[in-house]
Amino acid sequence: MNRTIILWRLASFAVAAGFIALWQLIANLKLVSPVFLPGPDRAWAALVHGFSSGDLCSKLIGTLEHMAYGWLAASIAGVAIGAMIGSSRLMRTYVAPSLEFLRPLPVSAIIPVAIAMLGLTQGMALFVIAFGAIWPIMLATIHGFAAVEPRLYEITRSLQMSRLAVIFKIALPSASPDIIAGMRLSLTVALILSVVCEILAGLDGLGHWVLLSARSFRSADLFAGVILLGVMGYATSLAMAVAENRLLKWQRVGH
Amino acid sequence: MAIALKRQEAPVSGLATPQIEFIDATLMLGGKTIIENLNLGVRPGEFLCIVGASGCGKTTALRLAAGLYQPSRGAVMFNGQPMLQPRRDIAIVFQDYGKALLPWRTAAGNVSLALEAVRMSAAQRPARIDELLRKVGLPGHAGKYPTEMSGGMQQRLQIARCLAQEPKALLMDEPFGALDAMTRQGLQDEVLSLTAASNATVIFVTHDLDEAIYLGDRIIGLLPHPGRIGIELSVNLPRPRDQLATREHPEFLRLRRQLFDFIKATEA
Amino acid sequence: MTIDRAKPLLLPLTVLAAFEAWARAAHLQSDSLAPPSAIMAALIGALADYSIPIATRDTLFSAFAGLAVGSLIGLALGIAFGISDVLNRLMEVTVEAIRPIPSIALLPIALIALGFGYRMEIVIVAFACIWPMLILSGAAVRGIEPRLMEVSRALRLPPAQRVLKIIIPAALPRIFVAFRLSAGIALIVAVTVEIAINPIGLGAGIMLAQQALRPDLMLAYLVWIGLIGYGLNVLLILAQRRLFGRAALG
Repeated sequence: MNRTIILWRLASFAVAAGFIALWQLIANLKLVSPVFLPGPDRAWAALVHGFSSGDLCSKLIGTLEHMAYGWLAASIAGVAIGAMIGSSRLMRTYVAPSLEFLRPLPVSAIIPVAIAMLGLTQGMALFVIAFGAIWPIMLATIHGFAAVEPRLYEITRSLQMSRLAVIFKIALPSASPDIIAGMRLSLTVALILSVVCEILAGLDGLGHWVLLSARSFRSADLFAGVILLGVMGYATSLAMAVAENRLLKWQRVGH
Repeated sequence: MAIALKRQEAPVSGLATPQIEFIDATLMLGGKTIIENLNLGVRPGEFLCIVGASGCGKTTALRLAAGLYQPSRGAVMFNGQPMLQPRRDIAIVFQDYGKALLPWRTAAGNVSLALEAVRMSAAQRPARIDELLRKVGLPGHAGKYPTEMSGGMQQRLQIARCLAQEPKALLMDEPFGALDAMTRQGLQDEVLSLTAASNATVIFVTHDLDEAIYLGDRIIGLLPHPGRIGIELSVNLPRPRDQLATREHPEFLRLRRQLFDFIKATEA
Repeated sequence: MTIDRAKPLLLPLTVLAAFEAWARAAHLQSDSLAPPSAIMAALIGALADYSIPIATRDTLFSAFAGLAVGSLIGLALGIAFGISDVLNRLMEVTVEAIRPIPSIALLPIALIALGFGYRMEIVIVAFACIWPMLILSGAAVRGIEPRLMEVSRALRLPPAQRVLKIIIPAALPRIFVAFRLSAGIALIVAVTVEIAINPIGLGAGIMLAQQALRPDLMLAYLVWIGLIGYGLNVLLILAQRRLFGRAALG
């Protein structure tokens, strides 16, 4: 890779390390009470301890599972429903506007309704996460399907391709940049809703962990959990970016 | 059946059925009459060029022949049967090649699309793809994406995909309009050799009069508003055509004059 | 043209009417569903006895305060990072490390530090609003026509004036779009914090209604929250059109 890029990266890491040192200084000088702000040393110790005792590991997996199941369900349903609506002009006129109207609605407001229907259970969490994560994907799919180059549809008529072939060979690939962008957004939503549901329903996961740590004023454990959540957010985002790179290779090539 | 003024005469060979036939075809779009009472028969294997000023309906006539539009009145026939929808054995080459190729598939993938549509088995496809790419002068480019190719190459790729349909008729809508002169001339000769080899019927729409005379057996000039035949010329130039010799032929120059006067008159 | 305008309303109105009819016919008794008429009644009642208006005031206060703080910080940093490429590159790792932390994960920290109430909610909303503003206004500044930057240098304007007179006005349309996005996020985060734990505002209201087994009131809050979200978005889009014209941006 480019030498300048590597140098800048290192400098950037150095700056970040500097901030951590500043954090440590503030903690050492007790400028903020250690009850609220543990130093990075204590947070790291709590992280290590949490993993070696297996606690944090199981909590991490708990949140990951909530995220993953909800997001997967949302992806499949979102693409399927979005494809159906996006490829039919009738549906686009009558259905799509209502969906656009619902877009700015805070999805967390569905949580009490879900609790009323399903109680404080895993099922409720899965429903909420899937419901929240479906919107970016579905709306992106509708947009992607509606924006397919009409010339391509004429070619499919000339080739007399079946409806299924048109969807899988033309519409889906054409819409894939939009769909993947939607899936990235959904991943963020899924993480947030997982944490909220864990806090509310006491389900096993990092959200629950940080809440318990807060209640018992174990600030080091609390920070360890928060850091881990940040790492989760970063790692899943990175994974999506890599996948996007490979799937959408064709967008980047050429002049 | 009443025979309209500009119907072509029955060819000497005796096989009188045209392959593509417009019978009193009229098309109205958005309240306007684009084409009115078009009567035209295209013989199998014929190379027909359609010229005319902008907006005279040349592209519309082509799309009617392709089955992409249905006439408001009259009929468009293919081998004696009315064309109610597009057919797999009629291939269309569009002018905007960028929009007519799949950007997410390589050159091979784009050609493969047509082969998949005609249900060729996966095992047979690679050989046929190589053959077609070689025919249009794109050997070794199978793995490239359309965005990595020049305009001329993309248009050749589109032609390759159309040839993959084993078309009985090839409809071309100003296919070389967006390309530079040298690329255009090369592709003109390629189209001639490809269609001569397969004996496909060609309807070629262009606004370039020289190109129409160079390529065609017959030229139709359309008058605008509404579109109808204004002139019909037979091109009696020797084949195979040659970029230098044919264009200097006295017959070429005579036809050129005729067409030029026709276009001038319509634009007046 | 009015027929075209009415088409999008057809589906929701039909669904509501059908639901109403079914709820009445089936004598619906449920903890989670209520007929639209009951929802309407509950909404009007809660508006009349000021419970919803007070809750709305609380939520909007927290959301806007958090939005103001967060977007100002984000804007300042974004402009700084946009102007100075060096600063941008040096801060890259730090920003990319903190940004992915879900704002909701800070809830327990804010809770033990500030207790229940407005302050903790404002802090969390502010945190959530910093990032979109930072990144998008940074991009907006970087996207300014280079010619304008050259002009400002040629005029030898002092930095503060350069920012105020050239950079901010030039990047303003895109900055406003970023602000619109952040405003939506602010509302969502505020409501989410209230639903999760904070006993004030619309989020608390809807949770209380659910716990009191009053589906009509709960759904009334849901509808109201949706209306507020939609109304806020529409207001900002109108403001954008007034300030920057139709063609400005998406």
